[in-house]
Formats: sequence, structure tokens, C-alpha cells
Amino acid sequence: MALVRRFVPFLAKAVRIQQTTQAQKIHRWVAPTLMELKRREDKLGGKKYYPRNTFLDWNLEAELYAFGQRLNEEFDSDLLLQAFTDRSYVIKEEMKQKEMDFDIKMKDNKELADIGENFIRAYIQNYLETVLPKFPLEGLKCIRNHLTSESVLANISLHLGTKDIILAAEYPVDNFILANTFKAIVGALLDSSGEERAAHFVRDFVITQLQGQDVNEYWPIEDPWTMLTDILKKDGATIEPRLIGEAGKNTLLACYRVGLYVDKKILSTGFGESVAVAKEMAAREALKKIFGTEDHMKPINFQLDGIPKPNSQSRYQISAS
Amino acid sequence: MSAAKRVQQWATFARTWHIFDCKWQDPYDSANVIKKYLMGLHKPIYHPMNDSGDVVVCINSKEIALRGDEWRKRAYFHHTGYPGGASWTLAWELHNKDPTLIIKKAVYRSMKGNLQRRHTMQRLFIYPGEEVPHDVMQNVTNQIRQLRFVPTRLDHIPEEVTKTYPKVMDFPEDYVLK
Amino acid sequence: MVFLTVANWVRSRGPDEFWRKRRVFRLAAHYIGRRRNCYSIAVRNVHRALVYATKARKLKKQDMIDLWNTRINAACEQHNITYFTLKEGLDRANILLDRKSLSDLACWEPRTFESLAAVAKQKMNYDGFIDNADKKHPTGVNLNLKDVMLEAWLKERKQ
Repeated sequence: MALVRRFVPFLAKAVRIQQTTQAQKIHRWVAPTLMELKRREDKLGGKKYYPRNTFLDWNLEAELYAFGQRLNEEFDSDLLLQAFTDRSYVIKEEMKQKEMDFDIKMKDNKELADIGENFIRAYIQNYLETVLPKFPLEGLKCIRNHLTSESVLANISLHLGTKDIILAAEYPVDNFILANTFKAIVGALLDSSGEERAAHFVRDFVITQLQGQDVNEYWPIEDPWTMLTDILKKDGATIEPRLIGEAGKNTLLACYRVGLYVDKKILSTGFGESVAVAKEMAAREALKKIFGTEDHMKPINFQLDGIPKPNSQSRYQISAS
Repeated sequence: MSAAKRVQQWATFARTWHIFDCKWQDPYDSANVIKKYLMGLHKPIYHPMNDSGDVVVCINSKEIALRGDEWRKRAYFHHTGYPGGASWTLAWELHNKDPTLIIKKAVYRSMKGNLQRRHTMQRLFIYPGEEVPHDVMQNVTNQIRQLRFVPTRLDHIPEEVTKTYPKVMDFPEDYVLK
Repeated sequence: MVFLTVANWVRSRGPDEFWRKRRVFRLAAHYIGRRRNCYSIAVRNVHRALVYATKARKLKKQDMIDLWNTRINAACEQHNITYFTLKEGLDRANILLDRKSLSDLACWEPRTFESLAAVAKQKMNYDGFIDNADKKHPTGVNLNLKDVMLEAWLKERKQ
């Protein structure tokens, strides 16, 4: 007995050495089992993903509360539940309840989504007008359309974690429902906490999608030359395009540089594979300069508080035909 | 990629056509300068894997000036690949046969012996005289400065200028020049 | 009846053979032919690849330094000074920029690089060091550095 007790520390050490390499011994049957499972899954049509609300530890109230707390916002709990309820889910519930003969009315998020959408549009328009003072209204409209588009809003709401909380008929939820839910959340926030908090929410999640993006990309201009001449005609100036540089004229990789001069002072330059392309790019650069959105513009300010007030002084009116 | 970015990249990597007048220049020194432009080592955006070299057009390659005795003594080796196909050609013989070869070989030798060398050499155009094809000349947009100063020959200066040029001293009339 | 002795004669190939070999096959996924699918061939090639990767860590650093040097040399030539003048001048002026920053500036911020070249040249001139390899043409003439830098800084100091 004493002999065993004397050698216990050595035995323990021996055992411990075997236990340090934990992750390496995987049983021989693991790989074939997993392969067989995958084969059976594929036969039945692929891996099935179940929503989190079918798991045992799902607590919708807790999830809604946590959602609000995560965003540091105070939501009215009924409004939030209403915001997450989709029309398809309400229809499904009503059908189920008809069979079971009891009546719990669930409100869907349509009205909240409409309120939210109007608010988002108005606020984004306001914000963009303040932050890009010289950009024409058509361009702002295009940027706004991009920011309120289904894919962008669906992406935002997916990353906010609404995918598992949304009450909808099918899983996984499609983009339209995700976008709708986001608008409904904004509507709910508007009703619960007021305009300023909702404005900050939209600013922090939607408008920041513009970070690092070239704002001119969202507004495709078909004929920059005519647009430029029209704008400068109002100020009574004529543009003189001149070929400033060229390289490898007769080759496939020819490069031309065209400069636009107004009153013998340079306005912008553009490069291109042919003279026409270079002239068009020079016109585009000139337009960017006029609208204040060149490559080296100051980054968009994402920290304007409250509802900003734009002053529409130096904005160019591109006449909508 | 937006149009502006695409056009910016096109302009950054555009290939410039340079012209170099080899008149009275040492081919091996000028080869060092030419190879820099051919490989793209004159650009801050250089990368060996990126084909960032420019085109160089050499003119007047028959007026090239080798140092010292080299015209008589420098020999160029050539092997046809067949047995007994080795030949050593002297510089003046080679120059008579093909006036562009000396500068071409000089540039080829100045580059590192890697697989890109032959490809880069294709960017070099050498003409023996002043005549350059019109489309090639139209592409050229830069001239590389010569290394050695090329003075104007006395017989190329008009006679009135030489006669009326102010003199510091002159020999007396009855002085006999040997 | 259960026959136990037969099972004892079966050679145990090891419990985690699949996973052990999978670690090698994942590294050989982009190889060609049997090197991708057969373990004994793949393992040799994967080991060689790993050895190359280990040795190349030092070589990559040297390659990058060479590339930066080439780029800085090219940019210096555009501004008519030598690499030596630039390095010495900046070191003496207490501007401790490394090769990486200098080459990045040369590519992306050409005007900054031009002003750095002008500063280095000016510092060497003040120290009485004339580098004969520099070309005769000046650097940073059109930048009006005097107007921009010194007076603004002096004004700040006064206030």
C-alpha cells in the first residue's frame, strides 16, 4: 500500500502526459459516421437549418428585450413585437387559430414599416442635403434610392440580428421581409423614443453605409459634356478642351490626356484610351469638382446630431426633362 | 471598377515611347541608361513581375563610338548550334554587316540573364540612321538625354561664322605650320 | 459464438488516420495529379512546400527591401538627386523615415516625396556636402516650400 502511495505522483504525471495532447485522438469510427450522415442528408435534399425559435431555450420576450438593450435604445415592448411580426406569419396564425377556435389578434408590421420608411427617406434626404451641399438633387435621389434599397436594408437588419427574431411563415427569411422589418423597427423606435433617437439610429446604421464609397458611382451620368456646358453656360463661361498629352498614339495601349480650360485657366484633366474617352473623363472630373465630390474631398461627416438643416445655396439645378 | 478608377489605372501603366540618339555615344554606357527605361526601373511603381517597362527607339546606331582599340580588338562570339559552327567576329566586321547589332548586344548584356530579358528586348527598336518609320516616330513622346556631349564639327559650322569669330591670338603671316 | 482471436490479429492502423492525413491533403489541394490525392506522394511535396515557406520568410524581407530601394532610386532620379543624398539628408534633418514609407510616399504622395527630396538636398547643402552624382537641375522649386512651411510654423510659435 505504501509502495503504491509512494509512486502515485509518478503515475499521475504519466497519466497527465498522455492527457496533454487532447485534440489529436479522434476515434476511427468518427470519419465514416460523418460521411454516412452527410450522404443521408444529401439524399433527403441537403442540410436543414432550423430557426433558433424552435430550440428549447428560446424566450421571445428576453430576445426582444436584449435586442433593444444591444442597440442602447428603449423600445415599447408591444411595438417591438409588432415590428417583428410579418404579415405571412399573421396569416398563418389566423389559419391555425381557425382550426383551434380561439382568437388572439396579432398585429403585423405594415403600418410601422410605412411610418419607418417615410421617416428614413425624409431623414436621409435631409442629411445628404446637409452633408453634400453642392450635389444636385437628382444625384441625391439616386444615393437615397441606393441607401433605402432592399438589399442594403436587408444586409443591415441581418447583421443587427433580426434574422432569428423575425416571426415569419418560412425560414430562412428573404430580403424583402428583412428590409421591411428594419423599417418597422425604425417606426417602432420613432413611436417609442422620439424623432431624435430614431434619427441617430438611421444615421448610425444606414447612412454610414456610404463610408469609403465613391458617392459619384450611384448617379450614372450619360452625357457629362452637355451637362457641363449647360451648367457653365448659366455662368456665361465657355470651355476649351485641349489635348495636353499623349503616349503611344498608334498602339493598342494608347493613352491621351485632355484638359478643360475656362478663361485660359485649367478646370480639370482626364485620361483615356482615345481622345473622346479622355474628353468625357475630363468633363466628369470637372463635374465632380463643381459638385464638390472629387477623389480628395473631405470625408462625409457621420456625426451630425439631431435633424440637420440644409442651406440650399450653391446647388445646381439639372433640369429634369 | 468605376470608370474613373479604370482610366486612372490605364494612365498609370501606359507605356511611353522614348527616343535615344546613339551618335558618338559609348554603347555600353548608353546600354545602362536604355536598360533602365526598358525594364521600368525609372518608375516608382516598378515591380519585376509587372510588365512596367517602356519602349525605347535608338537612332543613329551606325554612328556609335567604341572606346580605344575596341573597334579592332573586340570580338563577338556566335555559334550556329551545329558542330564547327563557332565564329568570332570583330567589332568593325560586325558593324559593317549589321550596324544595329553592337548596341543591341550591349543592351542585352547589360540586363540580368532571366526569362524576362528576351521579352524586354522586344521593346527595343534600333535604326542605323535618322530614318524611322512614321508610325513609330508618331508614338515617341520623350527623348533620353545623351551621356557624352556631342560637339558640332568644325566643317559643319558655316564659313562666315568661323571667319568672323573673335580670336585670342593668331600666328604671324610668315609662320610656317608643320 | 463470438470469435475474439481474429480481431486480435487485425493490425490497428491508428484511430485518427483519416484526420492526420486530412491535415496534409488540405495543404495539397492545389497540386496536380497524384500529388493531390495520394498520401505518400502528397506528404513529400507538402513537406518541401513548408520548408520553402520557412526559408522564404527571410528572403521575402530581403526582396521587399530590394524592391523599395529600386523604387526610391527611381523616384530620386525623377527629382534629380541620388538615393544617398536623400538618405543622408533626411537622417541629418532628423526625418527618420524607413524605406517602406519612402517608397509608399513616392508612389502615392508624389508632392510629399518631392518636398522630402528638396529638404534633404537643402540640408546637405547647408552641411557643405556636395554630391557630384546629383544632377544639375534643382528639386522642389515649384513647391514654394518656404511660403508654406517656415512662416506658418514661426507664426504658430509666436502665438
